[in-house]
Amino acid sequence: MDLAVLKEYFPFLIPLIILQIVLSITALIHVLRHPRYRFGNKVMWVLVVLFIQFIGPALYFALGRGEE
Amino acid sequence: MTGYLAFLKKEVIEYIRTYKLFIMLIVFAVFGITNPLMAKLMPEILESLATDGVIITFPEPTAYDAWTQFFKNATQIGLVVIVILFSGILSSELSKGTLINLLTKGLSRTAVILSKFTCMVMAWTVSIALCFGLTYGYTMYLFPEDQTSNLLFSVLCLWLFGLFLLAALLFSASLTKSNYGCLLITGVVVLVCMLMNIIPALHKYNPISLSTDNIGLIVNSIDVTSLYSVILISCLLSLIFVSLSVLIFRKKQL
Repeated sequence: MDLAVLKEYFPFLIPLIILQIVLSITALIHVLRHPRYRFGNKVMWVLVVLFIQFIGPALYFALGRGEE
Repeated sequence: MTGYLAFLKKEVIEYIRTYKLFIMLIVFAVFGITNPLMAKLMPEILESLATDGVIITFPEPTAYDAWTQFFKNATQIGLVVIVILFSGILSSELSKGTLINLLTKGLSRTAVILSKFTCMVMAWTVSIALCFGLTYGYTMYLFPEDQTSNLLFSVLCLWLFGLFLLAALLFSASLTKSNYGCLLITGVVVLVCMLMNIIPALHKYNPISLSTDNIGLIVNSIDVTSLYSVILISCLLSLIFVSLSVLIFRKKQL
């Protein structure tokens, strides 16, 4: 894919990338600050949150987040 | 009334603090952006899969394809995400025992159910509006010359189906004690609707038509007036589900 084609999709890619970064960072901060999970450990959740796009952080907030 | 408003405020704060609203907004925003994009890229993706010697031609993508993606994603993934997120709407509070203090201090049980329903509907409305707005904007940007008909009405039907589903969810939450039971009963309600859809005569009165006829409305193959009876029935059923859950919750042993 050359640069011209890529440029055509910039208005789509930039918001998506921003959303992904916001989601990962929010989840990452939560993982690090609340070290009690329903299952799994810190290393696992950090990897899930950082490397699975969109679904990872959503999974963490829906299933992995422990009770305060 | 004051109990209702106070509890509504508590619900909104809960949605924000437990990141429920955050996840819903992000999921629907991502769909909103990717719907038109997928419609635009799908022919190219399929062409790149074709091996040499085989020539596959695809029609030029249109705004209809973008809206097809929108209605497919919103009903299949969006509603599933919402139902899963809200499956603990009553059971989490019952198992933690956080409701008991409030109820013994005089908060009416009706107010609890009604404010929970209001808050779920508000969250669903905001999410679908965000998704619709983004899809609309990007579809306009990618396919500026395509015209669609009955678009708002079609989205309104989808919204109403979501409302019906949330009413069913609340009803099943008041019946059971765990969130799996709640998911199960909601699933059964949807399944019954789907099975009833096999009989063509019932199609006019089945709430699930609200989520299956959307594309037909946009391309004008389905008449708007044919959906009026379904809209009436869905509203009535939602009302019945909510009133039943109020009645059940008032009798329920906590």
